[in-house]
Formats: sequence, C-alpha cells, structure tokens
Amino acid sequence: MAGRVEWPTIDGPLGLSHQDSVAYARRFFNFGFLCLPFLWAVNCFYFWPVLRHPNSHQSHPEIRRYVVGSAIGFLVFAVILSSWSLTFMIGGNRLFGQVWDKLVMYNVADRYGLTGLF
Amino acid sequence: MEPGGSILESIGQEIIGVMSPVSICMFLVVLLVYSLYNPATATNAVTIRTAANLVYMESPTDSTAQKLEGSLLNAAVFIIIIALVTFLLVLLYYYNFTNFLVYYTRFSAFAVFSSMGGSVLLSLIQHFNFPVDAVTFCILHFNFTIVGTLFVLSSGGPIVLKQSYMVALGIIVAAWFAKLPEWTTWTLLVALAIYDLVAVLSPGGPLKLLVELASSRDEELPALIYEARPTVEMRNSGVRGSTLGLLVGGISGDNGRSTGGGVELQAVLRNDNNNGNENRDGESIINVLENGSNEIEVVREDVGESSPLIGGSNLMERLPSPSERRNNDNAGLLEGNTNSRGSRENESQREDFAETGLRGLKLGLGDFVFYSVLVGRAAMYDLMTVYACYLAIISGLGCTLILLAVCRHALPALPISITLGIMFYFLTRLLMEPFVVGASTSLVMF
Repeated sequence: MAGRVEWPTIDGPLGLSHQDSVAYARRFFNFGFLCLPFLWAVNCFYFWPVLRHPNSHQSHPEIRRYVVGSAIGFLVFAVILSSWSLTFMIGGNRLFGQVWDKLVMYNVADRYGLTGLF
Repeated sequence: MEPGGSILESIGQEIIGVMSPVSICMFLVVLLVYSLYNPATATNAVTIRTAANLVYMESPTDSTAQKLEGSLLNAAVFIIIIALVTFLLVLLYYYNFTNFLVYYTRFSAFAVFSSMGGSVLLSLIQHFNFPVDAVTFCILHFNFTIVGTLFVLSSGGPIVLKQSYMVALGIIVAAWFAKLPEWTTWTLLVALAIYDLVAVLSPGGPLKLLVELASSRDEELPALIYEARPTVEMRNSGVRGSTLGLLVGGISGDNGRSTGGGVELQAVLRNDNNNGNENRDGESIINVLENGSNEIEVVREDVGESSPLIGGSNLMERLPSPSERRNNDNAGLLEGNTNSRGSRENESQREDFAETGLRGLKLGLGDFVFYSVLVGRAAMYDLMTVYACYLAIISGLGCTLILLAVCRHALPALPISITLGIMFYFLTRLLMEPFVVGASTSLVMF
C-alpha cells in the first residue's frame, strides 16, 4: 500500500514532513550518544512506519539509517542495563555482600539527605 | 440525512481528548497521595515555607479562627504574587521577549522534572523498599528529565509523548501542592477559582490580555498548555460538516506561580473540507456555531509555551516552592482552534488540510494541577469524597466545554469545577459520610 508509508512519523498527517524528518532523526540519533538511550527509543517509536515498511517504494533510506541505528543502540543499552539491574535486584545481599547496601538507592538517598523531602 | 451520531462522534472525541488526561492525572495523584500520605507524620512534619504559605504556617494546634484568618492571608498573598507574575508575563510577551519566555519555561519544566519529580520517585522507592540501585536510578531519572525537557515544548516529537510529559508535569506539581496544610489548600482553591474568573473574563484581566495578544499575532502562547490530539477528518464523502474545534484554555500561574490561570475557551470552527462541498449538516448545534463560510480554518498548532516562572528564589528556603516551579502552568486556559483569519488562501490546500496543522482542544496545565490538588485533598480524607469530587470536577469540565461551544472565546476552566468540587467535598464529608457509615455499621443499608 503506497499510501501507508506516506507519512514517515507515527502521527501521520499531524507529524513532520519528509524533509524535516531527516533532520530530526539525525538529531535524535546523535544526541542519544550523550547517555540518552531514551532518545533512541523515542526515535524508533516516532518513525515506526519507516521501520515497519522497509520495502515500500517510499522507504526514506536516509531516515531509515538513523532509525535502525537508534533501534540497535537502544536494544544494546536495554540489554546491558536490565541485566545489571536484575542481577542487582535479585542477587541482593547474597551476591554482593556489603556493597549491595552501599549501592541500593534508598540508602544512597539517606546518605545524601535526599529523603523526606517530599 | 446525516447518519446519527456523527456529530457526537467528533465532538465527543474532542471532549474525551481533554477529559481522559484530566482523569488520568487525578487518578495518579490520588494513588500517590494514598500510598505516601501518612496523617500522623503529615501534621507533625516541618513544612517548607513556600509562596503558598508565606504569611502563615498552619499548625494543628491553632484555633479555628486563627486558621481561617491565616489561610485567608496566605491565599491573598499568593493571588497577589500570581497576578504580579502574570502581568509581568504579559509585559514580556508584549515586548516580544517570547524566546526568553520559551527558554524560561523549558528551564522550569527541567526543574520540576528533576528536583520535584526526583523527590517524588525517591519517596516512592523508599516507601515500597524497591531495591533499585543508584546507577540505574540515576540513568533512568536523567533520561526521563532530559527527554521531558526536550519534548514538552517542542513541536517535533510524538504527540502522545508530549501529552504524557504534560500529564506527568501536572501530577508532580499537584502532588507537591497537595502537601499544603488543609485550610490553606481550600482557601487557596477558592481564591484561585475567583482569580481565574476575573483574570480571563474581565476586560483588564492579564490572561485575557495574553490570549488577545497571542491571537492578534497569530502565535502560540508561550506557556505550558495541554493540547488534545486534533481530530483529523479525511472523509471523502463530504458528509461531515464542520467540526467544532473547541479550545479550552486555562492559564495558570503564568509566571511560575502557576496558579490561577484562567481557563480560556476559544471555540474555533474547523471546516472539514474534503470536497468542495461545504454542506453543513442540519444539526442544530453545528449550524448555530458555524460561521456559515466555507473557508477552511487552518489552525496553527499552538505550542503551549509555558509561561516563564519568574520565581523569587529568595522565597525558598530549601527547595523552590512548588508554586515557583510551576511557571508554565497556564491554568485552565482553554484555547480553541484559532487562526481562521488566514484561512481563505488555504482553501486550495484541501489535500494538505491535515498538514497545515489542526488544533485540538487546549487546556492549561494549571487546571490539571488544581483539579488534582482538590481530588488529592479529598483522598486524604476518604475514598467517598474522592468519588464525589471526581464526578463534580468532570461535570464542571463538561459544563465549561459546553459553555465554550456557546461562547467561542477563551473561558476560565477553574471556577465551575472547583466550586462544584468544594461543594461536593464538604457536603459529602459533613452529610453523606456519617449517614453512609452509620447506616452500614448498623446494617440498615449498604
């Protein structure tokens, strides 16, 4: 369906035009390297039609490059972070010993006096 | 004969587009208050001195007269501060400091997400003993803050993301405001409703000036305004007549004091012109509201720029007061789709109708906040009051939207809902609750 990928963004006619999309996709991709994997996720989410229909005749190869890069980056980040976080949560004291108490967030917040503010 | 319900579909869709985020915001604030509120510690806690309790710090040992007097003073001072900040905002906007306003709004959104949002998250983690580690938390919080700051005011990201961040902003600020002491909260709400009414409807009101300035320049307001997703109608049958674009906008706390925005409802008629035929349906409401022309009203996307928070940082002893952080809450500014003026030349752009930027109903962020504050306060008493206040607020919002359809200019969104909400809260608390509890414990009814 040619009409389906007419709009590169998920918002369809309310989103960006083709020209603006390239600039935005590039900006999201580049800024994501500043420890902002959420931006990569937003990039993939926003340009989902570009990811979804790679073989349409309007497949926007420029946008697609950045979106696929963002998707890969976000997946890598998600795997790393979730493996670390789950290990921390499930392993707990048994696995980490004393370090666990030093790293867990509520203790860190206590140490810096950040609790009880709200 | 128009298939029945087609008008209701579009208007209903627009109304739901405003009511669902308000409901979600209220629901999440109630959840927050329920999980984190501890009446024993709340009354003894050291309250930080914010702009809202500058004059009088309420303590549970004061007499009723003292509390009443003190809270009235608090409310008066707060309203004066808000009014001053709003006038300052109008002045800045008048002299075309719009860029400064935008950056200030972004800064205040950043401050809210990082500091106030961070403390809410920390309290939640501590309350539920969630064993997240510091590294993960910092990364996630950092991402949340930065992405929120980037997308809450820009026109470039997914609409649903922008709306979610607006709702998150409303939740965070409402959760902080709900921590104010009780008498102060109620008098503040009443005072804000009155201020909203005056500021939006009276000829010299700051919010009215702001909206008129923005519409005369055909620009978006520099404030935080929630905009519902425009309903794009691309029907080829040409059956539909114009859709009523309603704008309900409330400007709250333009200058960071975030309070009192008026809700401005501006109704805009959008013509759905897919064919050349402008056949207005015979439906009475649409006919009454239609201006009869067949021009396409192109509404520009209003990016609700948040009004800059011009906070007096010297007022904050520890953290910036929630009211200060709320710079960009434009309370209850309902903006309808405007920009019908330049639409004649757009008739040729019928295919590009959607591209030219439809507008949805707009509701200022201040309205979200103060509705949620009311419901949060009701949650601190009992669930019954929560239900009563929620229904009251939603019906008030519905009445306001209907009024918007009739009046077609900016209307305040706070007064009707807050009045009904407060009325229902006190009626429930004083009359209904003893009756229901007494009847059910005596196994008479319920």
